[in-house]
Amino acid sequence: MLLQMEGITKRYGSLIANDRVDFSLQEGEVHALVGENGAGKSTLMRILYGEEQPSEGRIIVGGRERVFATPSDAIAAGIGMVHQHFMLFPSFTVAENIVIGREPKAGVKFDRKAAAEHVKTLSEKFGMPVDPWAKVADCPVGVQQRIEILKVLNQGAKIIILDEPTGALTPLEVEWLLKAIKRLAKQGISFILISHKLNEVLGSADRITVLRDGKVIGSVKASDTDAAALSRMMVGRELAKFERKPVVPGEAILTVDNVTVLGDRGTKPLLDRVSLTVRAGEIVGIAGVSGNGQSELLQVVSGLRRVHSGKVTLGGKDVTGLSAGEFRRAGLAHIPEDRYLWGSAKEESVADNAIMGHLASFSKGGILRKRTIREKVGRWIDAFRVKTGSLETKAKHLSGGNMQKLIVAREMAHGTPFVIAAEPTRGVDIGAMETIHEALLKRRDEGGAILLVSSELSEILKLSDRILVLYEGRVAGELSAGDATEEKISFLMAGGSGNETH
Amino acid sequence: MKRINWTAYAQSLAAPLLAIGVGLLVGAIAIWAVGGSVGTTYAEMWKGAFGSFYFTASTLTRATPIILTALGVSLAFRAGFFNLGAEGQMVFGALAAALAALYVPGPGPVKMLAAVAAGMLAGGLWSLLAGWLDTRFRMNLLITTLLLNYIAVYTAGYLVAFPLKEKGGTGGAQTAMLDNSAWLPKLFADTTLHAGFIVAIAAAVLLALFLTFTTKGYEIRMLGSNPLFAAYGGVKRGQLMLVSMLLSGALAGLAGTFEVLGTQYRYIDNMLTSPGYAWSGIMATLLAGSNPIGSVLAAILLAALQTGGMGVERNTEVPLEISSVIQSSLILFVSARITFSFIKWRKARAANGNAA
Repeated sequence: MLLQMEGITKRYGSLIANDRVDFSLQEGEVHALVGENGAGKSTLMRILYGEEQPSEGRIIVGGRERVFATPSDAIAAGIGMVHQHFMLFPSFTVAENIVIGREPKAGVKFDRKAAAEHVKTLSEKFGMPVDPWAKVADCPVGVQQRIEILKVLNQGAKIIILDEPTGALTPLEVEWLLKAIKRLAKQGISFILISHKLNEVLGSADRITVLRDGKVIGSVKASDTDAAALSRMMVGRELAKFERKPVVPGEAILTVDNVTVLGDRGTKPLLDRVSLTVRAGEIVGIAGVSGNGQSELLQVVSGLRRVHSGKVTLGGKDVTGLSAGEFRRAGLAHIPEDRYLWGSAKEESVADNAIMGHLASFSKGGILRKRTIREKVGRWIDAFRVKTGSLETKAKHLSGGNMQKLIVAREMAHGTPFVIAAEPTRGVDIGAMETIHEALLKRRDEGGAILLVSSELSEILKLSDRILVLYEGRVAGELSAGDATEEKISFLMAGGSGNETH
Repeated sequence: MKRINWTAYAQSLAAPLLAIGVGLLVGAIAIWAVGGSVGTTYAEMWKGAFGSFYFTASTLTRATPIILTALGVSLAFRAGFFNLGAEGQMVFGALAAALAALYVPGPGPVKMLAAVAAGMLAGGLWSLLAGWLDTRFRMNLLITTLLLNYIAVYTAGYLVAFPLKEKGGTGGAQTAMLDNSAWLPKLFADTTLHAGFIVAIAAAVLLALFLTFTTKGYEIRMLGSNPLFAAYGGVKRGQLMLVSMLLSGALAGLAGTFEVLGTQYRYIDNMLTSPGYAWSGIMATLLAGSNPIGSVLAAILLAALQTGGMGVERNTEVPLEISSVIQSSLILFVSARITFSFIKWRKARAANGNAA
């Protein structure tokens, strides 16, 4: 056994994050670690990488017990970690980023040429093509991840921890990565894969360990299990099966007509003559690799960004150029794409965060009605099982998943005719995802018009009645729920033309 | 749900108290360094500030303009706007109040009300100008408010030195004395404390209630806390900025007005700038983390350090500047706290990525 973690327990005060967890890894094995938010995956990996000290338990690498006081101890023992958010210097070259900390020198000078040569050899050895001289800022996300993995390999890692590695990748990049992992495993590198995308885990891992509430629920061979069994283990109950009822869409609620948004310096348009309609009783999904105009589209249809040309109507009213407040009065609710940037004020209370955008129903004559706020928000918290100390708890003390549930509760509570759901389940666990999806579908069944933007194709496919794909600010194609498959969408996302999809 | 979270209160008090403790400690070192006795000096400081009813009243008198400017600055800070222009707003407020009280015809109360209205309006408009420059031309508020101070102070200085100078007066640059029917009543005979103090306390309570219980107060707090969140929720930044700058300046203007109506009974050049009321107000706001009630306490503390410092100078060999040493170290430690929480916030943001 290459790595053994035995009886790892981690306590934070009265909270037990890891409870006698056993975890092992063989040479050349891909071992996936799955579980809901707060199940203890990250804690366990932080302990292995020397970022946290276990309260109890021991770590054995290559037959020797080790104590990792810092990540450099773990790196010295051949353990490397690729974080979910890349830690690269965008303005430096690929080679510079990979050799950092181990720079080849010519005298006292940094030898750039040798570094590039070295990176070239390394990338050929492991079958991970990169251009050593390219600037990291110019590399697509998939390549940046390759750079991270090469950096870790260059540090001599035999065990690589990948934390949610596919979150930001396009479907093609995901496919490439999973293949690369398998190939590296054949070369003797071992992987620990943290993910909550069960299909990817099933497709690439040899073994899967499920954590729930800090405990190991089971450790199974990937070939002996399936997604349904794994989610049962993760959630601890059967997930409800739900179907989309057929609904005949009604009148158009949102229309975007030929909208163009130019870049800040007159560069190529961020949105290029985009037209779309969302009708009552339908969910329209927007797919696309992030950065292809989704954020701009969301800002346009929520009154946060001016258009250069074109027209937006909401509930029959021309709202082009109006403010976010006017959009809300015309019937908008908006689950924003980034819950901390747009969706909350972290230093303020849960109650304050819960009434934003809907002050009219929480006040009378300019005075806030504290009792109404307590009652209503209290009900949402129960309905969405938001874990919070009290309504006066500061929002920053809520976990990301709970904050997301609070935002969804806030935006769904007012029964508005139009809902923007942008990345509605980003970072939430399966249980919460189920609640949020149910809430969206229920609103659709009741005649709500919903614009869904998600980087999760499975979410788009599960919820949408129609799917539009954005590519470089244009609508690259439209698919009906019946026609859409992951392959067709991926093809359009990668810039394929709508006519060649079959 | 009505339970008060005492630990949270204790925590929010811990930092300023610690800063005060460290400030006094640094002051003690300074006293020791100039060869004074720490015990005697602090005893004299206490006596100078609160040692008798008269001194206590003087301390509160001095605190009055500091409280009002602190409230104005708090309001702007809570909305996320760094209004550093309290001094200029206060000066124009005081000058306008003096002119109104001198030239508006009618009985005393009419003159007084006219002075209050004129003072608040002048301070408010001067502040509004900076807000407008920001919304209209994107001029940095921090810089405009800071620089508008100089324009206000020197313009007022010129006006009272030449066109508005007291006719035939032998004094320096000052307006004529107000008719005593327009003077603010004293709260106690033979003390300096005037009715403006009551108004300042009432304003603090009103501001606290306004921020907590009204929709506009809510919008101001959210705008200051996360402007993007506020925009997302439909809060209009431009409009709210103008309103909060107007109110903020009006409170500073009121501070100047009360100095005219309650202590000097005329506008004298430098009457507001040399005691540094406006900057003390900004310090009080920083010390109290922009909390209105906390600002009152902080303002009284700063006023006590200043009046106490005068007592020290009267009765010991230690110079008045010892108060400045303590005040400066207070501010230093408060700003260290701000920097520290900023670092924590940055770290937490960075850590959010890989914490599940």
